[in-house]
Amino acid sequence: MISRALPPLAFALLLLVAWQAIVTVGEIPEYLLPSPTAILATVDRSLAVSFAVTFLEALAGFLIASVLAFAIATLFVRFHTLEEGLFPLAIAVKTTPIVAIAPLLVIWLGTGWWSKIVAAILICFFPVLVNTVKGLKAADVEYRELFETLGASRGQEFRKLRVPYCLPYLFSALKISSSLAVVGAIVGEFVGATQGLGYLIMISSAHLETATLFSAIFAAAIAGIAMFYAISFAERRLIFWSSGEAE
Amino acid sequence: MNAIVLTNRLNAAPAAPSEPVLSIAALHVRFGDVVAIENLSLTLRRGEFVSLLGPSGCGKSTLLKAVADLVKPSGGEIVRSDLNLRTGFMFQKPLLLPWRTTLDNVLLPTEIQRGGNAVDSAERQNALRMLDLVRLRDFSDAYPQQLSGGMQQRAALARALMCDPDVLLLDEPFGALDELTRDVLNEELIRIWQSKKTRLATVLMVTHSIPEAVTMSDRVIVLSSRPARIIEDVAVACPRPRAPEDADTAAIIRRVRAMVRSDR
Repeated sequence: MISRALPPLAFALLLLVAWQAIVTVGEIPEYLLPSPTAILATVDRSLAVSFAVTFLEALAGFLIASVLAFAIATLFVRFHTLEEGLFPLAIAVKTTPIVAIAPLLVIWLGTGWWSKIVAAILICFFPVLVNTVKGLKAADVEYRELFETLGASRGQEFRKLRVPYCLPYLFSALKISSSLAVVGAIVGEFVGATQGLGYLIMISSAHLETATLFSAIFAAAIAGIAMFYAISFAERRLIFWSSGEAE
Repeated sequence: MNAIVLTNRLNAAPAAPSEPVLSIAALHVRFGDVVAIENLSLTLRRGEFVSLLGPSGCGKSTLLKAVADLVKPSGGEIVRSDLNLRTGFMFQKPLLLPWRTTLDNVLLPTEIQRGGNAVDSAERQNALRMLDLVRLRDFSDAYPQQLSGGMQQRAALARALMCDPDVLLLDEPFGALDELTRDVLNEELIRIWQSKKTRLATVLMVTHSIPEAVTMSDRVIVLSSRPARIIEDVAVACPRPRAPEDADTAAIIRRVRAMVRSDR
């Protein structure tokens, strides 16, 4: 674990040192490109609060979207007509840019938490839905015949075959949607918010506080990376039997 | 159809035919426009080892699946002598669940029968006994991906035996394995069938290997290419254990091969 983390950390450090050197030697003004030390100086309590707000919005949206998408995928697999009828609608939701929907969400839900959570839900929902439907159908027909010869009920087949079979597909989607959730929350904050990283980015760019802008950007990246690695960790723990990547 | 009986030794006569356990009468199976099975009748008697022999795609697997209720016949019927008659099915692929240990895979039929209730220790003991029977006890905690192909099929056999079947339906059970492993497992299958350690009495096995069919079975049902009809019902009365090289067994193998050729 430590040996695997070493090369990326070493490169990151090298990059930061080079960055610092270029800014110092080239005397680049701070509003254009602040040095790493100048960015570090802007890390304070208010940044931490912004980070927590955005992270919680993204996490809530991610969790709600995942549960919702799994439930709807289950219905789609069980009732094929439902899948045929609603899938185009799901694609429509997916293909409409979240930036276009976000203002509407603020009108409907206000500038509080919910407009951001719903933005995160909208962006997370589709990948989880598509992969879960695919995963729940992925078990070979022979496996289903095996369960039939054993006299399994539909529920038993679902719990003992389809759901575990689906997990690698589900987790591939969760890894994608977990980092997208942060994007959804920040887009929601751009449109109308009083706190959060998106709000901080808007304000600091308007005031040319580039160092604060950078620290907010890094915080957003860290939120996405943290979500991604948490899911990856759970995936490795849970799905010990599958090393391959299911799309 | 006429039954050909080739008996070379006096002591070779099998036990007197006992009561029928399963009767297939005038069976028709159609998939859309394709007729898979046409007017096929066959009776299995208790204690028999019967092979269905035919070319690939002739409908022999379909016949087996019809017996297992996996395929709905479009005509005719399959009559079980006893409503409580239990059948076990073994597929060509092991179909083990990769997230379960060998023991838990073998316990799957029990879990399904019990619905939501947990498996008790007597049932675990029974599963271990089945693993003993297929000589896989030492690997009860291993996951399928840690087992060789032959071991995976042993586990699948143990799982099929967990239903405590009267009739075992085998769909080319070792067809995907190499020849050496396959020979060993065929012998094991005969040993388990003869052992009387389970209820298992009757076996219906699909194969496309003539030596395998003749060496293992009491009767070889030779099927035509699609739609499957019975060309011959060959009784094999040679004493066990048999080897394909034995004079009497080899004679029947040649005989069956000639029948299969004449169908082309």
